[in-house]
Amino acid sequence: MEKIREEIKEIVRQALASKEVDLILAWEKGQLWYDSYPAFFTEEQGVDSLVWDQFCVNNLSKYLLDDGMAGQKVGILVKGCDTLAFNQLVQDNRIIRDNVVLYGLPCSGMIDPAKVRREGLDRGLIKIKKTGDQLIFVNKEQQIKVLPTQVYYDKCLTCHYPNPVIYDRLIGEKVANETLATHAGRFSAVEELEELSTKDRFAYWDQQFSKCIRCLACRNICPACSCEQCTFDDSELEILGKAKENSEDKFFHLIRAYHVAGRCVDCGECSRVCPQGIPLEKLNRKLIKDINELYGEYQAGLDPSIKGPLVTYQLEDTDTFTAGERGRKQK
Amino acid sequence: MSVIASDAVIKKEAGFEPLIVAFCCNWCSYAGADLAGTSRLNYPANIKIIRVPCSCRVNANFVLRAFQRGADGVIIAGCHPGDCHYMTGNYYTRRRMSLLKNLLEFIGIEEARFKIDWISASEGNKFAEVMNDVLAKVHQLGPNRKLRDSRWRR
Ligand code: SF4
Ligand code: SF4
Repeated sequence: MEKIREEIKEIVRQALASKEVDLILAWEKGQLWYDSYPAFFTEEQGVDSLVWDQFCVNNLSKYLLDDGMAGQKVGILVKGCDTLAFNQLVQDNRIIRDNVVLYGLPCSGMIDPAKVRREGLDRGLIKIKKTGDQLIFVNKEQQIKVLPTQVYYDKCLTCHYPNPVIYDRLIGEKVANETLATHAGRFSAVEELEELSTKDRFAYWDQQFSKCIRCLACRNICPACSCEQCTFDDSELEILGKAKENSEDKFFHLIRAYHVAGRCVDCGECSRVCPQGIPLEKLNRKLIKDINELYGEYQAGLDPSIKGPLVTYQLEDTDTFTAGERGRKQK
Repeated sequence: MSVIASDAVIKKEAGFEPLIVAFCCNWCSYAGADLAGTSRLNYPANIKIIRVPCSCRVNANFVLRAFQRGADGVIIAGCHPGDCHYMTGNYYTRRRMSLLKNLLEFIGIEEARFKIDWISASEGNKFAEVMNDVLAKVHQLGPNRKLRDSRWRR
């Protein structure tokens, strides 16, 4: 990764110097070991602080919608999953493909700081090395070998697209897609819930939803939540009130999940940023699973020229409500 | 099922009179309701009909808001697939509401509280049947507390 980092910096410097782009969206190292936060670079000189490490989890695509980007030629560093988000924004007509230069980065997975802490690996941590398929956590006293599965984000463990699906320039070698097998397993948590009784399912979600503080971080990060004006922001519309009330929480969560149905790229960013640890991906994946089963496999963000499943139909479509209950799986 | 009987049940069981909101497509189910009326097929007064230009006019907000503000059950009734006045509206309804129905179940809402069906203008019988069926089931389930706003008072 260090070698590639230097290569990236060189490419970024050149791109800025030659005015191929006006600015570049990338990551910068913060003060803490797990801090690799979004940053934009406009000057060649500033590029020294650019970072590419195993904490560059933040999907940068959504920043392309920022006011500051208007009228500029923007370069952006994108991992595999980020390119799905990018494509979705293109499909939703929120960005113009040709105004953006994509620097694709094959990704072997990102480390979840919470898991590192849970394993006690953060104490005295100096650096993290990667050799083959092992990670080595180096602290003052020792070097600890760790399997990626122990510390990678859940979403990385079921990632289907580690290599960018679209790019102008690829930096580094493509990685082997080892997670294909586990990708199918991304629905297992949904299936577990489906097995529960209605009462237990309600108890589970009621408890989860009641934790929500409606900070809207999940919406802000989401590449499918890209409306110019969000109804959740305007209580005068009487769509969503501001009160901390159970039914409003449910309303918010159902509408959030439902309105990205067929457009959610399953990037997992919403659950990652939720300060309350609400498993939003289970709602998204329930919808993805149903869409796949009822209306055919669909991966949002893979090909912007294919119409999303909820803006199209087939004459012989099935449903989940008429007699005979075709397509009905749930108990 | 006899409507009068189900009405009687409701009256007797102290207090609980289900409130059902039915979104009916103007071109078919709303006319179906009319036909049910003119054919003297009673359907209970607990059903509040909201006329919509097409079943696909109903979005998830409508359904959730109805539950939030006091409905114990929600029905969406539209033209049979292939018969949409606007050609394709109910094909979208079919996909959208299939997903919404499963999603509501997934978070633990009883399946019988949310019904979608195709009822044409000539199906007065079916209209009365569907309404009575939902009413009976919802009556058995009891009031909707799961999605109702706690500040709401009937
Ligand atoms: S990020 Fe979490 S707490 Fe914040 S609004 Fe979304 S679900 Fe609620
Ligand atoms: S809903 Fe969540 S997982 Fe889906 S695209 Fe938005 S942020 Fe990503």
